[in-house]
Amino acid sequence: MSDTENSLRCIIGLTDRNTVKLDFDNTPFQTVKYWAMRTMRWFKLKGFIILKSSKNSYHVVFDKKVSWRKNVHIMAWVCLLSKHKKLTGWFIMQCIKEGSTLRVSAKKEKPEPRIVYRYGSQNGQIAEFLAYRSLIKGIIRKLQKEYAKPQIEAKVSA
Amino acid sequence: MARRLGDYKMPSETKKIAVYGQGRIKVPVKQRYWIKRKDGIKQRYWKKTRKVKWVEVDNVRFEFYGTGKEIYRAVRRALKPEDPRIPKGFVSVSATKFLEDVDKYSFEGEWIEKDVGY
Repeated sequence: MSDTENSLRCIIGLTDRNTVKLDFDNTPFQTVKYWAMRTMRWFKLKGFIILKSSKNSYHVVFDKKVSWRKNVHIMAWVCLLSKHKKLTGWFIMQCIKEGSTLRVSAKKEKPEPRIVYRYGSQNGQIAEFLAYRSLIKGIIRKLQKEYAKPQIEAKVSA
Repeated sequence: MARRLGDYKMPSETKKIAVYGQGRIKVPVKQRYWIKRKDGIKQRYWKKTRKVKWVEVDNVRFEFYGTGKEIYRAVRRALKPEDPRIPKGFVSVSATKFLEDVDKYSFEGEWIEKDVGY
């Protein structure tokens, strides 16, 4: 089974209230990096990672632990200054859910997001995010193995 | 050192694993009928029939929290190929509670792959 194939037919992600996350769709890498750097410096967020989720789509995760109130403040600040429509749509959705979610599993033809850039401290919320990400990846791997077995057996018997 | 599934803990509701997408559920077909009340007004009622139809539901979501092992079991139960479970809308629940009473939080149905905007 290829990495990009999602046999689970649903999306698995990580929801968190205390980690600042941003989802930039249809944005070039340099722009994402600029906004990540600017946000980190303005709010003193210690460090960040950028994950590439698909072509011209990136996720940003910051290292500092913040309250949900501060988290919304930061996300709204980025939306307002960047005037990014898709990011604003995503931000509104997160406000409705009262927690920000980023995808971890593959989604249709899109592969699992992978780290493409690291900057500054990585020991706080980033380390935690990556630990939970590996937990989810482990779950996905186990489930895919489990569900692939009966299909293989059926093919062999046929 | 590599950590095992059981070592992780998501005890609070601040950190959860989200399982989301679109699904198809079985719902009973409802039939409309009218009853003439004593005061002369015709009132409309709906009653469930034995017939069942498939309905597509958008943006359904489980949010599980608990230990790694419990979450794994809950996700596996929700996606079980023989009996997949579709959440009743937006369900944020502890993995243990979900496993104790699956029917309380989900419908019988199947997951389908379509575009999700977020």
